[in-house]
Amino acid sequence: MLEIRDLSVSIGPHEIVHIDALDLPTGRRVGLVGESGSGKTMTAMSIVGLQPADAKVTGSITFEGSELLGRSETEMAKVRGGDIGLILQDPARALDPMMRIGRQVSEAIRIHMNLSRKEVGERVLSLLAQVQLPDPEQLLRRYPHQLSGGQQQRVLIASAIACDPKLLIADEPTTALDVTVQEGILELLVQLSDERGMGILFVSHDLGVVRFVCEEIAVLYGGRLVEVGPTTAVVRTSRHRYTESLLAANPGLADSHELEEYVGRRFDVIRGSVPALGDFPTGCRFRDRCDFASDACSEPPPTMIGEHGHRFRCWNPAEGTVNAAAG
Amino acid sequence: MPPLVEVSGLHFRYGKARVREHDDAWTLRDLTLNIEDGSTLGVVGESGSGKSTLVRVLCGLLHHQHGEVRFDGRDIREWLSESQADLRRRNQIVFQSPRRSLDPRMSIRRALGQPVRSLERRVPSDTELTEWLERVGLDSEILQRYPHQLSGGQLQRVGIARAISVRPSVLYADEPVSALDVSVQAQVLNLLMDVRSQFGLTLVMVSHDLGVVSRLCEEVIVMKDGLIVEAGRTSEILANPQTAYTEALVTAARTVSLAAPDR
Amino acid sequence: MPDDSAIEPDASRAALKRVFRTVVRLPFPLFLGAFLVMSFVFIALLSFFWTPYDPAAINVPDRLLPPGSDRYIFGTDRLGRDVVTQLMLGARNSLYVSVLSTTVAVTIGALFGLFVAGTGPRWQGPLSRIADVGLSLPGILVAFVLATKLGPGNTTATLAIIVWFIPVAARVTIGPATQVLALDYVEAAFAYGRSRRFVLMNHVLPNIGPLLIVLASVMFAAAILIEAALSFLGVGVQPPTSSWGRFLNEAQPLLEAAPYLMFFPGIAIVLTVLGFNLLGDGLRTILDPQQARTGIF
Repeated sequence: MLEIRDLSVSIGPHEIVHIDALDLPTGRRVGLVGESGSGKTMTAMSIVGLQPADAKVTGSITFEGSELLGRSETEMAKVRGGDIGLILQDPARALDPMMRIGRQVSEAIRIHMNLSRKEVGERVLSLLAQVQLPDPEQLLRRYPHQLSGGQQQRVLIASAIACDPKLLIADEPTTALDVTVQEGILELLVQLSDERGMGILFVSHDLGVVRFVCEEIAVLYGGRLVEVGPTTAVVRTSRHRYTESLLAANPGLADSHELEEYVGRRFDVIRGSVPALGDFPTGCRFRDRCDFASDACSEPPPTMIGEHGHRFRCWNPAEGTVNAAAG
Repeated sequence: MPPLVEVSGLHFRYGKARVREHDDAWTLRDLTLNIEDGSTLGVVGESGSGKSTLVRVLCGLLHHQHGEVRFDGRDIREWLSESQADLRRRNQIVFQSPRRSLDPRMSIRRALGQPVRSLERRVPSDTELTEWLERVGLDSEILQRYPHQLSGGQLQRVGIARAISVRPSVLYADEPVSALDVSVQAQVLNLLMDVRSQFGLTLVMVSHDLGVVSRLCEEVIVMKDGLIVEAGRTSEILANPQTAYTEALVTAARTVSLAAPDR
Repeated sequence: MPDDSAIEPDASRAALKRVFRTVVRLPFPLFLGAFLVMSFVFIALLSFFWTPYDPAAINVPDRLLPPGSDRYIFGTDRLGRDVVTQLMLGARNSLYVSVLSTTVAVTIGALFGLFVAGTGPRWQGPLSRIADVGLSLPGILVAFVLATKLGPGNTTATLAIIVWFIPVAARVTIGPATQVLALDYVEAAFAYGRSRRFVLMNHVLPNIGPLLIVLASVMFAAAILIEAALSFLGVGVQPPTSSWGRFLNEAQPLLEAAPYLMFFPGIAIVLTVLGFNLLGDGLRTILDPQQARTGIF
């Protein structure tokens, strides 16, 4: 459904993102994982033409066969909210505090669909129910500040799926929310995706969250794809050293029987920190922070292919045998 | 030895006290807890549970309306009226957002020296400043810089260095790593652990991340709506939550934990 | 080069070089603004010692001569007085009243605003109302009341503008000051024992500084024009004492006959206001640790 080929996003002299190939099959949930400076948000925004004004984007992003890059603003506006839904990080800021909920949700519908007022109203009510918000009729007339963070995010999800998009791009949708609320939102997203056959591009720095929602994970470092593959493969048998260290750095809550022995235990750190835009090393961008770097790493690593579409770019990957890609 | 911090029947609310006080107007209600010297305590709960407020009351930054708070055997109100500087010196805080906890118009040199200037009434020497920075793994070269020139991780380290410069007894950390990248979080958390054992600090950490709390804190209190719903040894509470609320927190944390089984 | 620097010639030359380098790195607006302001101040001061023509001289036969005439570069007004002389004299009063009133009003207003912000949510409401009451006082009325007590003139005009502007400065300060007080680094300062006064003066004030500079620039412009209006209404300086504002107002009815009479004081006001604005801009830039100094070259 969505095919990214040779995408390059640059601001000034720096190439912030370079993705050789990334696919999102119809209805599939793919996670884009990275820390700050990884270019994950830039990539997501470039898909819908919302990259910063001074960013230069080249390459190809095809959505259902037609090219998205290079389209005019009016054409992109038709896609956004229509075929591609978008939810962003801070729900409180994405909602207009002066506009009632009902009106905000109906906006996308009124722009993209040709429905009578009554039909729009019915659709809004149905959407609010689908995102499991209680008492939709009452909710229509409320203002954002009267809702909790979780409810606000559900409203935003409702707006995003209002026109039955085939793809939903979600950028850190649960970062600002409490952990119990987060669970609800994540489950809702999975449910909506399954029910509607809607694909999700889930952008986040949290591997645990992405693991829960997505069937495939793409890991970005310094604007480059370092590892892509089915979730289980990337998480359980990660190959790229960055993915490996990312997993080790924040393992989350241990199993009950292991809790006691982890008390007071130090975290596994990744040496150093993400360099500034112009300070990445040549060759493999992670090599200055990698414990396994060798001389070979001063050259960009080739794409290695593992099983089931699991690919990564590392000269000294973790365990297992690798098959270098032809060419 | 009596606990370092003793709290009983603590009530706190923001704003003016009104004649008729409804229950839910209180941010903290009837809290009772003890913190032993040298212990590590985690404070968990959702937003609005009052955990940040609790920390500020224990530090003496907010004045509670009812109940008793004792620090090192003395009532905190006594500390505040008679020896406020000593109280401040012995209780320091590390804040959540590294960028907001440093005045953008102050150089690192000046910012780092503030607690000593204020509480010890002297200007710290460059040797001292360098030493403090080394403790947190930073180079003295950053002394002349301004906050906007440093990364979040570096700023948070400066915040920690600043807090421990006056050798406090208790270090309160309010979500110290939530605003940082994952790879930097691990570094700062390790730093907190090191600093704590090196200086024998009592560490009280507020966090929404149960995974982090389970590693750093031997004891934990779970807060909801201004009340403490559970308290005890972290590993026990998280393994066997006694209340539905705690259980919900644990379940939600496990859902997104990497240690959980595959779907 | 005199030989008194023979002992350490390199040191003093190096010092000079450093000063020079710092100066050329200053932002361009600062230079331009400072130049404009200092020029007008110089002209105003100069008027005490020298003017092209006798300030008191009225030369009716030479009235309303256009600029470029024989002996009058900028022409003459309706009483035959030289425009250049009138401008110089006017500079005195206009600058005096506007600079003094703005400085005093912003200082007192900002300090009051800081104080109010520092009192916390409990008292902030009622105290802000006091500032609001001040805002609602009709400034002209205040000016008239003062005039009846003190008589018309510079002092009256200055005081009237001060009273008018203090509530504005206070009001403008309270909001941002409150916002800064809610920031973590202020909380941190309290946590290591700083008093409220220290925090207000050393953390809040520097961080709302840029705002105050902008406020002062805007107020200065307004003050010049208000002084003009007050003079016109008989509350400010009275003839034969001159100010640019008065000059401007007297020129108004002669717009058709002698349009240039409005032009000159108008330009003077515009340039001075511009100068102060640029100066303010430049000041904000050099005080901001985050601004890269680009310099004029």
